[in-house]
Amino acid sequence: MSDHQSLMDLAMEVALGLADEAEAAELEARALQDPEAAAALSHARMRLAELDDTATPETLPADMWDRVTLRLDERGSAVGVPPGTVPEFDAETDTILPANEPHAPRSWFMAACTGLAASVMLALALGWVVMTRPDPTVIAVLINDTTGEAVALVEGTEANLTRVTLLGQTAVPEGQVMQVWTKPEDDGPPVSLGLLAENRGTALAVDGLPPPGPEQLYEITFEQSGGSPTGLPTGPIHGKGFAKEPL
Amino acid sequence: MPFSPSAGPTHEAMDALNAQMDEDRRLSDLADRIEACALGDRTALRAIMDQEGSRLLGIALRMLRRRDLAEDALQECFVSVWRKAHQFDASRGGARGWITTILRNQCLTMLRKESWEIAESADILERRQDEEVVMDAYGRLDMNSDLRRCLDRLEPPKRVAILQAYVLGYTHGEISGRLQAPLGSVKAWVRRGLIALRECLA
Repeated sequence: MSDHQSLMDLAMEVALGLADEAEAAELEARALQDPEAAAALSHARMRLAELDDTATPETLPADMWDRVTLRLDERGSAVGVPPGTVPEFDAETDTILPANEPHAPRSWFMAACTGLAASVMLALALGWVVMTRPDPTVIAVLINDTTGEAVALVEGTEANLTRVTLLGQTAVPEGQVMQVWTKPEDDGPPVSLGLLAENRGTALAVDGLPPPGPEQLYEITFEQSGGSPTGLPTGPIHGKGFAKEPL
Repeated sequence: MPFSPSAGPTHEAMDALNAQMDEDRRLSDLADRIEACALGDRTALRAIMDQEGSRLLGIALRMLRRRDLAEDALQECFVSVWRKAHQFDASRGGARGWITTILRNQCLTMLRKESWEIAESADILERRQDEEVVMDAYGRLDMNSDLRRCLDRLEPPKRVAILQAYVLGYTHGEISGRLQAPLGSVKAWVRRGLIALRECLA
């Protein structure tokens, strides 16, 4: 079977909704850049779309528009995303927003718990780090936004050696891998520090970045195996946090 | 023969042409509106909802079966349309298909996440209803359409498996349960069925 045929078959499987989750995500990501993949997907979807037209239309509830605008306001993204900035940085929630993941709403309570958990973890981590680790110039505790739990400890050295320690078991979606990101410049793009192979903590070395500083954002996302196809975060955020200087 | 403005093939042809042009205009409006969303124009999103909402809600209700879930899916679909509007590229496929895909993916995500909840309430009566929903969708396809013609050519289990997956968002496992067939067979039916469909539709 030719490559083109297997691409078309995979596209049909994705359009049908039965492709493996990782395969589907990979093809969709590829389609954003590769016209052949985009054409295969669009062709497959168009072919099956006739079945959508057999559903009986339903009257919308009167409050549908209010519900939608409420959700848009809640996310603090009243303005549409400017073209070409995928993903964007949401200053209000201090998050690198992936291109296609809805951002979980956060109550003040969750925010308070997150802060508290971060402080406790930071205190514990610092005591431990000072005794056992060589010279990190910054330390960040990454927090999961949904659960409020600390999920990873990131230590960065002057020479951009980054040590990542996972805190507790991580449920990595099948076929995906954790990828570590940082934003060396507040208004610059996120930069990949590397993948956590076998979903274990590890030390990652990256050349060419400025030494990490306080308030630098670190983040772990789930990406397709092999890492984000776009070179920017695309998957859901597992945890994020800002670096602090150990005293 | 007396002149009658409403009779004659010429007039019918004109009507058909006008209808086609109206439809084209509606679809190009839709693409323009998605582009307006990317620039932050909420009235464009509202217009998309007014134009496509009830069609999309029908699709969602058929997949999710529960009205509250279907409305949630539709709401999240419009939030995603707003957020992803800058990714829309009219040269890579139609505006309506783009929006429908967002809705379908939202429904599939909810189905996969909530499958335990929906499975729990799926008694025998609903099982029978599901069969009716699938056969109804199949029956409503235009007899002359390529999709209908190509689905007709498939052996019944392959056809039903593909329809259940698309119309109801079933997983391989759910199809296997409903058809009382081994999972391996279902996977093979779907794979071979899709290849046959792709070849027939080419």
